[in-house]
Amino acid sequence: MLALKNKRRVAVAWAQDNNTIGAINFAVNKGLIEAILIGKKSEIKKTCKAEGIDESNFILIEADNEKSASSEAVHLVKAGDADIVMKGLVETDMFLKAVMDKEKGLMLPGAVLSYVCALEIPAYPKLLFITDPAVIPFPDLDQKIAMAGYAIEMANRFGVDKPKIALISATEKMVRHFESTVDYSIMCKMADRNQIANCIMDGPLDIFIACDKKSAEIKGLDTPINGDADILLFPSLESSNPFYKGLMLFAGGELAGLIRGTEKPVIVMSRSESEKSKYFCIALSCLMA
Amino acid sequence: MVLKNLNDLRHLVDGIPIRKLVLAAANDQHCLGAVYKAWKENIIDPILVGDEEEIHSICSSYNYDITGIRIINEPEAEKSVETAVKIISSKQADILMKGKIGSATLLRCVLNKEWGLRTGNLLSHFALFEVDTYQKVIAVTDVAMNIAPTLHEKIAIVNNSVACLNRLGYKMPKVAVLGAVEMVNENMKATLDAALLSKMNQRDQIRNCIIDGPLAFDNAVSLESAQLKGIKSEVAGDTDLLLMPDIEVGNVLYKSLVFFAKAKVASIILGAMVPIVLTSRSDSEQAKFDSILLAAAASKY
Repeated sequence: MLALKNKRRVAVAWAQDNNTIGAINFAVNKGLIEAILIGKKSEIKKTCKAEGIDESNFILIEADNEKSASSEAVHLVKAGDADIVMKGLVETDMFLKAVMDKEKGLMLPGAVLSYVCALEIPAYPKLLFITDPAVIPFPDLDQKIAMAGYAIEMANRFGVDKPKIALISATEKMVRHFESTVDYSIMCKMADRNQIANCIMDGPLDIFIACDKKSAEIKGLDTPINGDADILLFPSLESSNPFYKGLMLFAGGELAGLIRGTEKPVIVMSRSESEKSKYFCIALSCLMA
Repeated sequence: MVLKNLNDLRHLVDGIPIRKLVLAAANDQHCLGAVYKAWKENIIDPILVGDEEEIHSICSSYNYDITGIRIINEPEAEKSVETAVKIISSKQADILMKGKIGSATLLRCVLNKEWGLRTGNLLSHFALFEVDTYQKVIAVTDVAMNIAPTLHEKIAIVNNSVACLNRLGYKMPKVAVLGAVEMVNENMKATLDAALLSKMNQRDQIRNCIIDGPLAFDNAVSLESAQLKGIKSEVAGDTDLLLMPDIEVGNVLYKSLVFFAKAKVASIILGAMVPIVLTSRSDSEQAKFDSILLAAAASKY
């Protein structure tokens, strides 16, 4: 899918650990990216040596600490010297602070910062996009609308023109004390009226009805999603995060995720992710760049 | 089935046993006139509760020959309402009608916990308009009782009205939830409630009807307007029931239809054990008659 004319340049903040450098090196060797590693050069070189990686694969930029490495990485992208910014061994909070800096950061004006990921699950016949398992703890209506927009955009990039987006809850009824079901009802009407475009939306739905045709039939629920969802939008981080981690742990899932709401792609990965997932994240960011 | 005009209500009444109507505080000329006419046309079988002497004097001066109509003498207006309500709660009549008494007094009796007509449902106003410029009658709620209904109250109002329309032969009435615009706008609560009502209808939480909203008035009643705006809706342009966001919008629409569009209107109160004809003094005798006709057609027994 990725047939890029030009390689994307990835600026990595505080890229000193073997984990980050390993993933980056893999992508460089695949011919996907050029990498700019920002950190203590001596540490980077030491890690490369220990891992048997050729340090001349990368451009190295010296930085004293995590904070300045983050600012420098963001600055490179802002200045057009890199296309993608990636978090290395920095704390996520500190890294995102640099990304979200009002003057020097990468936020689109008025945009909501959120996270979308594509999940590959052996038991599901296609990619499943999930939002938001990483950034917004309890999205309000406006944030949910933004999340839907990002997920639709990502699905579009993967060639799904009119993705089916299921708004996930524990029930398919409109129940006022489940705030998400209220927001979902409003969003569905907005989709009816083309205020949210390029998708087929329904919710609240539970995951069975969203992703399993038989369940939809058994319940006798008339829904255009009908067990064939492309996107699952979750009511909270605490519901979506365990969902994807459970799938990765027990169902052989692989994931590629990305921060949205920024001018340029921002990669944030947790250290516990597999090398394959890390590569997918980098590939995804190239696709969205 | 669809009613083209208010007169179509007669076909509904023709096939059923004659309904008993109790007129409370009956000594009112317009009410007696409408009741007399409905009685002569075999729409209802009236019971008049009120000052018997005054009832007779009104009827003789307008040449209403009420021989054969049951009269219960109760000169005190409030007492006459209590008597009328008790006749209904003891299942001896099917329709309550307000005569020469304030609405508040009548409703207080209707809501009496011991002998009133409570069902646990919210009381709501239901008006049925015949307008030359629309292809069928159009129901409007609530233009007179509930001031600023909450979502919960809107659900009750829709349920009352849909049950009534179902009894009038509409299997799946089309309900438009009215807003100033057809788009969802977070600053307009009516549009949010409309979205919620639509979803609850999709999920079978509100049944026996098709709900869409928000719809602006033009898209609700004109298919052309809806198509121009690109609205895909089963309801747009073919609305059977308009749900008002609040009483101010509803009341102004009601009066605009009557004064500017010369609409004919019939209206009743729903949510009690029986339909209540609660027309105001300013309503014409025709409107009172049509309301009696509507109550008879919508009556459960």
